[in-house]
Amino acid sequence: MSCRDRTSEFESVCKSLQGRQNGAQDIKPVHNAVRQRSDFTLMAKRIGRDLSNTFAKLEKLTILAKRKSLFDDKAVEIDELTYIVKQDINSLNKQIAQLQELVRSRNGQNNRHLQTHSNTIVVSLQSKLASMSSDFKSVLEVRTENLKQQKSRQEQFSQSPASSSSFHDNMNKYDNSNKADISIDMDLRSSQQMQLLNEKESYIQDRANTMQNIESTIVELGSIFQQLAHMVKEQEETVQRIDANVEDTQLNVDLAHTEILKYFQSVSNNRWLLIKIFLILIIFFFIFVVFLA
Amino acid sequence: MAASIREKQTAALKRMLNFNAPPLKNTAAEPVWKVLIYDRFGQDIISPLLSVKELRDMGITLHLLLHSDRDPIPDVPAIYFVMPTEENIDRICQDLRNQLYESYYLNFISAISRSKLEDIASAALAANAVNLVTKVFDQYLNFITLEDDMFVLCNQNKEQISYHAINKPDIMDTEMEGIMDTIVDGLFCYFVTLGAVPIIRCPRGNAAEMVAVKLDKKLRENLRDARNSLFTGDTMGAGQFSFQRPLFVLADRNLDLATPLHHTWTYQALIHDVLDLYLNRVSLEESPGSEASPAGARPKKKSKKSYDLTAADKFWQKHKGSPFPEVAESVQEELDTYRAQEDEVKRLKSIMGLEGEDDGAISMLSDNTAKLTSAVSSLPELLEKKRLIDLHTNVATAVLDHIKSRKLDVYFEYEEKLMSKSTMDKSLLDIISDPDAGTPEDKMRLFLIYYITSQQPPSEGDLEQYKKALIDAGCDLSPLNYIKQWKAFTKMAAAPANYGNSGVKPMGLFSRVMNTGSQFVMEGVKNLVLKQHNLPVTRILDNLMDMKSNPETDDYRYFDPKMLRGSESSIPRNKNPFQEAIVFVVGGGNYIEYQNLVDYAKAKQGKRVMYGCSELFSATQFMKQLSQLGQK
Repeated sequence: MSCRDRTSEFESVCKSLQGRQNGAQDIKPVHNAVRQRSDFTLMAKRIGRDLSNTFAKLEKLTILAKRKSLFDDKAVEIDELTYIVKQDINSLNKQIAQLQELVRSRNGQNNRHLQTHSNTIVVSLQSKLASMSSDFKSVLEVRTENLKQQKSRQEQFSQSPASSSSFHDNMNKYDNSNKADISIDMDLRSSQQMQLLNEKESYIQDRANTMQNIESTIVELGSIFQQLAHMVKEQEETVQRIDANVEDTQLNVDLAHTEILKYFQSVSNNRWLLIKIFLILIIFFFIFVVFLA
Repeated sequence: MAASIREKQTAALKRMLNFNAPPLKNTAAEPVWKVLIYDRFGQDIISPLLSVKELRDMGITLHLLLHSDRDPIPDVPAIYFVMPTEENIDRICQDLRNQLYESYYLNFISAISRSKLEDIASAALAANAVNLVTKVFDQYLNFITLEDDMFVLCNQNKEQISYHAINKPDIMDTEMEGIMDTIVDGLFCYFVTLGAVPIIRCPRGNAAEMVAVKLDKKLRENLRDARNSLFTGDTMGAGQFSFQRPLFVLADRNLDLATPLHHTWTYQALIHDVLDLYLNRVSLEESPGSEASPAGARPKKKSKKSYDLTAADKFWQKHKGSPFPEVAESVQEELDTYRAQEDEVKRLKSIMGLEGEDDGAISMLSDNTAKLTSAVSSLPELLEKKRLIDLHTNVATAVLDHIKSRKLDVYFEYEEKLMSKSTMDKSLLDIISDPDAGTPEDKMRLFLIYYITSQQPPSEGDLEQYKKALIDAGCDLSPLNYIKQWKAFTKMAAAPANYGNSGVKPMGLFSRVMNTGSQFVMEGVKNLVLKQHNLPVTRILDNLMDMKSNPETDDYRYFDPKMLRGSESSIPRNKNPFQEAIVFVVGGGNYIEYQNLVDYAKAKQGKRVMYGCSELFSATQFMKQLSQLGQK
């Protein structure tokens, strides 16, 4: 580390100075007590902690959703996690809204630095929440993509659009029956039935697919609108540098300078002023002459 | 040293902002809110490196100047980043007494002395706030990094270590010591942050030698102190893949006075010369319409616009060293590509309009939403690109205006010819007496370069003629006195440096570089092409890095802080050529030298060169200092 820790040196200096002064003074323990944290800070800390927890859950969800294996699908877990994360995001939203209300209600009492500090905290919590929810949406999209891919791959492996589970059932039935002719009969009939079923199912499947497409499209549109809102929010703090304020101050000083200059002009051009001063001088002169003479 | 100095300094700053613990990579960490307090030095160091958004990401909610009025924020830790001067320490003690913040993390830009530490301790005791002062650190960051491989020592009090201060004839020893100490402190911090102990070489007999001696001593003391050394442990750890030590060349400004006065032709150097470039921020003045100011003498306010030239700006990074006509062309190209992308986005609008009439709407829908999503997500990029193009258009237009009004291309060509001692087609007197070629300052610069680079001084008659012409043009002749003295002095020491062969080929007069309809019609401005040539500093570096023997550099002293005994010899122990080098100019530097070194490093494969100077001045500022010196 290219820096040097002088804390221990500082503490030893403090102790030695304390030792020298110890006879004369009592140590007031007041300020060393646990400081009272304001409500605002406590709330902000709590929200921050919740946010980080939700982030961790979201990371787990991302890892799960990215898995593409056909057979090891942890659909139940993913759904649970999704539900939990959604709840968390909603509650965080409410909490941050509450925090903002608190900040606004305290507006008059606080000094300006504290106000800026509080506002900045609220804004940054909001932007963290927004980024997290957009991450969440993208994870959901990844998940739907993977589901679609899984379905298409299943269709490739099985001859009918019916799910592989029904195919498995048929296979089991064939295995269980040891009689070949029965199996052939069943084969024929079941294949016919399967044909009918297939047609119906394919029609239903088509409808389902289209509905799903529409739904996902609407979701995408929703995310687009949210991103737009996010961008508008982020314009608040565009590329800015810490020495921008210095220029503001300079501008103000310049304005003040011009005002003073104006006043100076008016004062220096004012002939009446000269006459007035002259009159006052003459009055004083006469008074002194009258009194002394 | 695979990482550049800018990355190292940024990493050090971020670590400091994270309470001096290495920053965690994951975003799942709980945010801690803090307040950053700095003084002017700290402000200069932080502003080119971290933007406000990055500070917010690290949890800094407020950033304030140390000496401003600050209100108490009772439950927030505060990080201080200040220089350990008397006033700053007093102000910190005052803050401790007023109990403004919950806990205090004090970081000093350079090492704080023991006595000042005791002052803070006693104030903390008096305010009963000893537990609140959580950490005290010496950050060793007393230098400003402007580019990946360029640093400057300071900006705030630069008059104290300027060329004028070092070379003025009535300088006292104590002042000189003070200046040397400041420079050595900054250099020491630089090497600590870089994490390497260099081999130092310097010429004899001038300020650079003093700096080298002191720096060697300081590095040596620090290395001897095995318990406390800053160069062992983590600094030498990760990222340190080269086994070679870098070469540190100390040069003095007196070696080459013509380069700071030179008119230049590359983008970054032009901006620094012609506009106001300060800590990577350009300020342009845009005057409103010409209105006669009323007799009340209220000055008409010109609106100033300022732009930041950052590392994220790809156009800037690519073109900051290119000659100006190339820059103009590239801006035009970028504008064209941007317009094409904008048109694509607009086309989507019409496609979406058709959607309702089409039967295959549903199938098209998903396709178009995909396009729309990609367009929307690329929208911020497009906007950013537009902003950068606007920025560069404005800056380049301003520069072009200056070039056209002052005929800087003529000056550039002439000076190049002077510096390479090739024949000139126009006489110097013509240019000086030409009323619309440039400001009096430009003419003075040209004449000074002529004076510096000529082998013998011009005869008395000629000199008188020139002087008269200069006075007619309105120039101030005091720099000339100083240059005369300097020339006499250096003649005793060595032959004046020659500037290498350079050729300047004008690519046709009145060349219209742009097609019609663009703003960068450079009529009448010659499209000059720079041929590669080496400035004196670059040549010295070349000799030293490759261990070539050359009468100029054989006489340089050699310091190796890691050796047990300091030796007076100038025989280098290390016979291998160096791969890394750092050039530092005592007395001031500028972007022309920096650009030259960058070009040199690019030409030589596998060598990395970093450039530093005690202050960065433009030709105007340098002229001021020279005239101050000449008036003594």
